[in-house]
Amino acid sequence: MEEKLTKLKEELTSVLATATKEADILNIKSSYVGKKSEIAGILSSLKDMSIEDKKKYGSLINNTKKEMETMINDRLEELENKSNINFDSTINYEVETGSLHPITIIGKEITDILKRMGFSVVTGPEMESEYYNFEALNVPKDHPARDMQDTYFLDNGMLLRTQTSDNQIHAMENFGAPLRICAPGRVFRNEDLDANHENTFFQIEGMVIDKSVTIENLLYVMQNLLKEIFHEDVRVRLRPGFFPFTEPSYEMDMSCLICGGKGCPTCKNSGWIEMVGSGMIHPNVLRAGGIDPNEYTGFAFGFGLTRLAMMKYKINDIRVLNSGDIRYLSEFKID
Amino acid sequence: MLISCNKLKSHIKNPEDIDWLNIWDTFTLRTAEVENVEVKGNKFDNVVIAKIVECTDHPDSDHMHVLKVDCGETEPIQVVCGAPNVRVGLKTAYIKVGGHIDGAEIKARPLRGIVSNGMCCSGRELGISDNHDGIIELPDDFPVGEDIKKYLPIDDIIVEIDNKSLTNRPDLWGHYGIAREICAITNHELLPLDILEIANNKEDLSIVIKDDNLCYRYTGLKIENIKNNETPLDMQIFLYYVGMRSISLLVDLTNYLMMELGQPMHAFDARVVKNIEVGLANEGDTYTTLDGEKRKLSSDTLMIKNGNEYFGIAGVMGGLDSEILPDTTSVFIESACFNAASIRRSAARLGLRTEASARYEKSLDPNMTDLAIKRLAYLLKQQNPDMIIASNLTDVYPKVLKEGNIILDKKTLEIYMGRVLEDETVVSILEKLGFKVTVEKDYYDVVVPTFRATKDIKIKEDLIEEIARIYGLENFAPKPLKLDLTVKELETTYNEEYEVKRLLATKYDMHEVHSYIWYDTELLKELNIEKKNVSLLGKDTNNILRDDLSLSLMNIVKENFKNKGEFKLFEIGTVIQNNENKRMLSIILADHEKNLESIYLEAKKIVKYIFRVLKNKEVTFTENVNELAYYDESLGKIINVDNNRIGVLNVLKKTCTNKLSKKKCVVTVDIDFDKYVALKEEEMVAKEISKYPEVELDYTIILENKKYKDLKEVLDTFMSKLIRSYRLVEVYENKYLIRYTLGSDNKTLEQKELQTFKERFIKHIKDHGLNIIE
Repeated sequence: MEEKLTKLKEELTSVLATATKEADILNIKSSYVGKKSEIAGILSSLKDMSIEDKKKYGSLINNTKKEMETMINDRLEELENKSNINFDSTINYEVETGSLHPITIIGKEITDILKRMGFSVVTGPEMESEYYNFEALNVPKDHPARDMQDTYFLDNGMLLRTQTSDNQIHAMENFGAPLRICAPGRVFRNEDLDANHENTFFQIEGMVIDKSVTIENLLYVMQNLLKEIFHEDVRVRLRPGFFPFTEPSYEMDMSCLICGGKGCPTCKNSGWIEMVGSGMIHPNVLRAGGIDPNEYTGFAFGFGLTRLAMMKYKINDIRVLNSGDIRYLSEFKID
Repeated sequence: MLISCNKLKSHIKNPEDIDWLNIWDTFTLRTAEVENVEVKGNKFDNVVIAKIVECTDHPDSDHMHVLKVDCGETEPIQVVCGAPNVRVGLKTAYIKVGGHIDGAEIKARPLRGIVSNGMCCSGRELGISDNHDGIIELPDDFPVGEDIKKYLPIDDIIVEIDNKSLTNRPDLWGHYGIAREICAITNHELLPLDILEIANNKEDLSIVIKDDNLCYRYTGLKIENIKNNETPLDMQIFLYYVGMRSISLLVDLTNYLMMELGQPMHAFDARVVKNIEVGLANEGDTYTTLDGEKRKLSSDTLMIKNGNEYFGIAGVMGGLDSEILPDTTSVFIESACFNAASIRRSAARLGLRTEASARYEKSLDPNMTDLAIKRLAYLLKQQNPDMIIASNLTDVYPKVLKEGNIILDKKTLEIYMGRVLEDETVVSILEKLGFKVTVEKDYYDVVVPTFRATKDIKIKEDLIEEIARIYGLENFAPKPLKLDLTVKELETTYNEEYEVKRLLATKYDMHEVHSYIWYDTELLKELNIEKKNVSLLGKDTNNILRDDLSLSLMNIVKENFKNKGEFKLFEIGTVIQNNENKRMLSIILADHEKNLESIYLEAKKIVKYIFRVLKNKEVTFTENVNELAYYDESLGKIINVDNNRIGVLNVLKKTCTNKLSKKKCVVTVDIDFDKYVALKEEEMVAKEISKYPEVELDYTIILENKKYKDLKEVLDTFMSKLIRSYRLVEVYENKYLIRYTLGSDNKTLEQKELQTFKERFIKHIKDHGLNIIE
């Protein structure tokens, strides 16, 4: 009997191994463990056996049948899971990715930092009136900045803005005091192009107006902004500067990131890099924006987004930024 | 501007207390940016004063001489020298054997067979002039054997200050002003200048100012009985160090005064001066300036006239015919003050920016002219003790600039500084800078010296700047803005632009580009497109501002076709339409000609996607009325949201595309971004979904000579309460696969209902003359 059962199992193993279709296995199932199968016959013959034999073979026969059923079911599952998809899984395509302009990337980064300090981001017009670009900003009629050779004047009496500072006046007019804004934007200067000069580039303007705003607040905003941008503990310092729209005016230098302030060719051995024009807003500018300088003070700052992007991404020719050359720009992945 | 520390020291009491090499870092922080600090006089050593006691021709040379020089040692020393000005009795600079010049050691060596023990030096070799015509000629009273550096100001520190950082400081365009700043920074005392007082007991000179808005003051003095001899060496060295050439005593003195006080001066040969008049030129006249150039004048060029002749371009440059000559014995000295803007315009128009014009355009103090003349007279008298003052100090000064005062309240000062300053601190800073201060309880009454009043000190904030910078900007510490928890977003434009850009770059793998605000006029010509729009003044090319963003991107498209067969670009930028700024989004898909259909349909998808995802809005496309001739007539679409036009989709005309690259196609989308920003995002509302399953049914419909638009009309007229939605899934040749989603809110659909739907639908399609694959 043991021999017989072992033989049955062996037989089943070999037929299962050759069967590759679900239907075949189902047929095997019915012929080996079905109602009319040999094992079913043996099982039914159990009742005719002696008590001794019943004891001896009962569980053996039952277990064998269960084993055989399991074998068949396993084989069925095995077949179900066997992938019959046949392809070259070693193929590995290059991914095509889009890109954002480096100015967009750095602009987003900077405005995000400023937003965390409570600034709103505003925008302004590229074609601007003399009033907003110069007059309201306390740039007098005969100021050299108004010269033809620096400014693109237009035949409709307007001009292309030379700085993002026009946003100071727009923001004061639109939103009043207190105010905390930054304004990234494109500006234009009548310049000949070379690796370091463009006639079209980007700046960002910042402005805070409130009661009792001091120079030290300006220092805080700038130091933290630069720290966040460069992920380094940069130091800043103020120097006297001159801009018509601020009084006092300051040039803000940042410790040179190349040499850490020891002096190198990049910083002309001074250890400092000139970064930001800034100052306390001139009372005439506040007045032009409809804000009473006796009640409010404020600071403003502006710096070159293009220049910053060039520094940060080590772009050595400014002209590629407006070239639209995908081979170059596609390197700038979305941050 | 170059500054000599030796000169500064001469204006300051106890200058030895100052670290002249290192003060300049502080100067950068207090006053103006220092670009360079150069130590002079360290290029040589062992140079002594020597006297030539013997001079014979070199036997083997046609120009060299063999000299015996007395340099204070027991025996005269033999030196071979090639300079033409050697002669017995001449005192010169001699460098000993073992001495160094420019890093090289001087050795005894034969020159054409005769040993030279050291070398006699020219001014250029010593680095104190550019004269190399001969060896330097020293005054007779210089003692033989002494180190030359003890007798000439060769050791010096020359500091270069960034001119741009002095734009608003007319008072710093001379050494005296810089010395005043150093005094304020280091708490030293500024010495008064030695001047010659002039007794007004002679005749006035004839001087007339025609327009006192252009010439504020004209001061003249005539001096006779002078010799225009050589300038003292120490002055020559100073002038050389600060970048001027020594010409002759009189010319050098005027330059010296300009470098000292910042006051440009002019010396005319008095023989030719008749009567001086300051007035405008006639348009188109020409005039030859000192440099020999013939200049064209215009009617707003301010001129110095002599009689009826032009005599000089005011504040810019003098003329040839009044030039000081070697035989000049009497001079007319001009010290004047002109309108800054007028001088700047003249200099710019003539393309002639001179040391004088650079100073005048900073708005000089008119109260300096007479001081400068008295100072010049003092210095001239030292060289010409017998000179005679031949006229009154004639001073035409129609509107005298008087000192004004500013009230600086202590409260404002405190707000700006973020701290309270002691009265003594404020007073000390301001007084060192030349202000006069009266302290009151709540304010300071500050008198502003005129040398600061012409340009930069007008309001109390200007005084705060003075106090803050001398107080020390490094003493300010960053202080966070005070707490403000107001929720504010004043404008969303920037953020919305970023969202769209990011979507296009990530979802559609597009590249963001930036292009110019003006058209590439060369390309317009090539494409045969004429554009009229706002234009740049004074430019002939690339001068028309763009009114179509996509078109302005075509030069970028053209360039990229050189490297790539297909690409996708976008830009959000400004265009000018109807004299207004307008923000636009342009999307450009460029590909091979055969892929036009696919990129055209993709463009539509992209547009729908943007509005669906970012605004929760549906877009419709309607036929374009072919507004622009350079786009294809039949393929243009108007993009609408909420039944309002928000943009256009176009295909660049074949003739234009071929100019960019052969066998290509370009699809453009332009969306009005101002409208986009103004468009309110549709509120998102959760929808109820049926708990019973939905069924999808696919139908393939064959269109002959018809378009999807026609099919859509047919589909839209088919009504059934089972329809949830339908959509176009795929198009293959003329077969359009439509998928209907059916369902019910209150039961599972039965086979019978589906069968009825199917029969009705097929009949509906056929009734409208379309074929359907059953």
